[in-house]
Amino acid sequence: MYEWSDEHLMLRQAMRDFIAKEILPIKEDLEHGDTPPYDVLRKLYATFGMDEMARATFEKRIAHEKAVAAGEAVNDDKPSRHGGGDAGYTLIPIIELCRHCPGMVTAMGVSVGLTASAIQAKGTIAQKERWVPQLLTLEKVGAWAITEPNSGSDAFGSMLSTARRDGDEYLLNGNKTFITNGPYADTIVFICKLDEGNDPKDRKVLSFVLDRGMPGLEQSKPLRKMGMHSSPTGELFLTDVRVGRDRLVGETEEVSKGGRDGAKATFQQERSGVAAMSLGIIEQCLDLSIEYAKNRVQFGHPISEFQLIQQKLAMMEVARMNVQNLVFRTIELSKAGKTMTFAEASAMKLYSAQAATAVALEAVQLHGGNGYMAEYQVEQLARDAKVLQIYAGTDEIQTVAIARGLVG
Amino acid sequence: MNVVVCVKQIPDPADPGALDPESKTLKRDGKLILDESDSYGVEMALQLAGDSGEVTLVSMAPNGEVSGLRTALAMGAAKAVLVSDDALKGSDALTTAKVLAKAIERAGSYDLILAATESSDGYTGTVPEQIAEVLGLPSVTFAKAVTIDGTTVKVDRQTEAGYDEVTCPLPALVSVTAGVVEPRYPSFKGIMAAKSKPVDQVTVADLGLDAANVGWAGAGQEIIEVAQAEARQAGEVIEDDGEAFNRVVGFLSDLKII
Repeated sequence: MYEWSDEHLMLRQAMRDFIAKEILPIKEDLEHGDTPPYDVLRKLYATFGMDEMARATFEKRIAHEKAVAAGEAVNDDKPSRHGGGDAGYTLIPIIELCRHCPGMVTAMGVSVGLTASAIQAKGTIAQKERWVPQLLTLEKVGAWAITEPNSGSDAFGSMLSTARRDGDEYLLNGNKTFITNGPYADTIVFICKLDEGNDPKDRKVLSFVLDRGMPGLEQSKPLRKMGMHSSPTGELFLTDVRVGRDRLVGETEEVSKGGRDGAKATFQQERSGVAAMSLGIIEQCLDLSIEYAKNRVQFGHPISEFQLIQQKLAMMEVARMNVQNLVFRTIELSKAGKTMTFAEASAMKLYSAQAATAVALEAVQLHGGNGYMAEYQVEQLARDAKVLQIYAGTDEIQTVAIARGLVG
Repeated sequence: MNVVVCVKQIPDPADPGALDPESKTLKRDGKLILDESDSYGVEMALQLAGDSGEVTLVSMAPNGEVSGLRTALAMGAAKAVLVSDDALKGSDALTTAKVLAKAIERAGSYDLILAATESSDGYTGTVPEQIAEVLGLPSVTFAKAVTIDGTTVKVDRQTEAGYDEVTCPLPALVSVTAGVVEPRYPSFKGIMAAKSKPVDQVTVADLGLDAANVGWAGAGQEIIEVAQAEARQAGEVIEDDGEAFNRVVGFLSDLKII
């Protein structure tokens, strides 16, 4: 794949039309007014039939899993997560939304991507049927809770949240922070350690599915942050939240079936999505910069005639081409039914996030004083881009993962 | 009910257009898109056809271009007839109407034909009525609402003063304005399905027409010259003496805006 197909371009145009009509008129409220993005995201899903497709794809997958469980089918024929097997249909909406409101993608991705996928990847069939369809269609908002005040990059090592057995049930305790969708989530995947009185570093990592309003579960108001304002981020406080085994993902304490493996698979998927987000930010910054450079006149000439400005534009274009190629590769791999290694996904995420931040900051520089003003969109995109180097694994953590892939 | 919609594929208005200096016509070599003014007809047709009927597109475009048709197919149209033939270069409005009329006959049985009031690139605004004349059908123009009542179509026809309520027997041709309905977005499923929907691509000869009677050869028009539009004149400045609002009211009234 070296360019978007006609179908991709049609989809892109439809997305652009929808964004112009439905999102840009309320963008101020989304970015600066604390208006949650969920209603307009649901409208997006309904308009393009994404909810219907997600439900149909889920039903196919679950029917297949049931057939496999009953010994009637082989596991290799699992239907694709993407409708029609084309990841472009997942990534193009991400790219187009990120040209304007990357936060919306964060909110959407965490719900339909991370949260639903965490249950889909390691949950039992009953758990999948109970929670996944409503998450995939955005009927319910999902949150995936791993980060804690003292546990970020060292997600498992420093984790303090616990599950303690209490008869046939568990009591969950802990504080989570920086949780995307935390303030509004209906369904929460809570990751914690099984406390059997043993050394914390030897404890098993378990995931539980919680519903909004459960006794002992408190969801904070949105936190103030640098960017991604259209994505509500909050804290979760759990005090003796009582759950049955039916809420333990996989309904097993075996680490190989839940815990770290599940979280790692989720990390991998999250990292792939960041490349598409970066591409949207880069494309928009480049378009805005070209337009500005052609129209901004200094010393009697459009600044696009100055070589130092041309160099900035040229380097932005190089970044755009590279990140687009990474996105194309993701689509090709998906079509071929293959997945990246963990190190590859990390490399893609590291490069894309750094490129998006660098391009957005250069776009601000190119716009001069105007670029520092909120009126010019590059200011927002520069704030939004920075978190791509921090969430879903910091640059430093990605670097470690890449190096491990190289030297073991 | 089966509905045929005449759609035009035009150069993307977002890209700067260019004239062919030799023919003095718009260059149409690149990728073409569905004329936005036709998306209203497509939507109206889909709503009138419902689940039991079928919407068929007819179009005339160079180089077998189907990009715009695929957009309308993704919205929900079932199939298309595309007339593409080098002999059609330079066709005037009447020739276009004759060709599209033949394409409509090829499209199968229909109850209603819809078209935009005019295209966004040519703006002749005469093709729909000419098609109706060629096919011997009644024609209603400038529809801002269309409903079907048994064997008749009821149209609210936009006028300068308001609208007329027009009823005419089916089959008929109706040209619709941008106010008739809100076009839907193509769904993901629709976009995926569009590429496998049938597009019957035909030539002038396939339609039983003589190449000598179409295109430049058959055109009743000749483009003598293309000139820059006259620059806009400076507006009238009215000093407000306390009664200037009457001048504004009079100005708007003359334009029949109020």
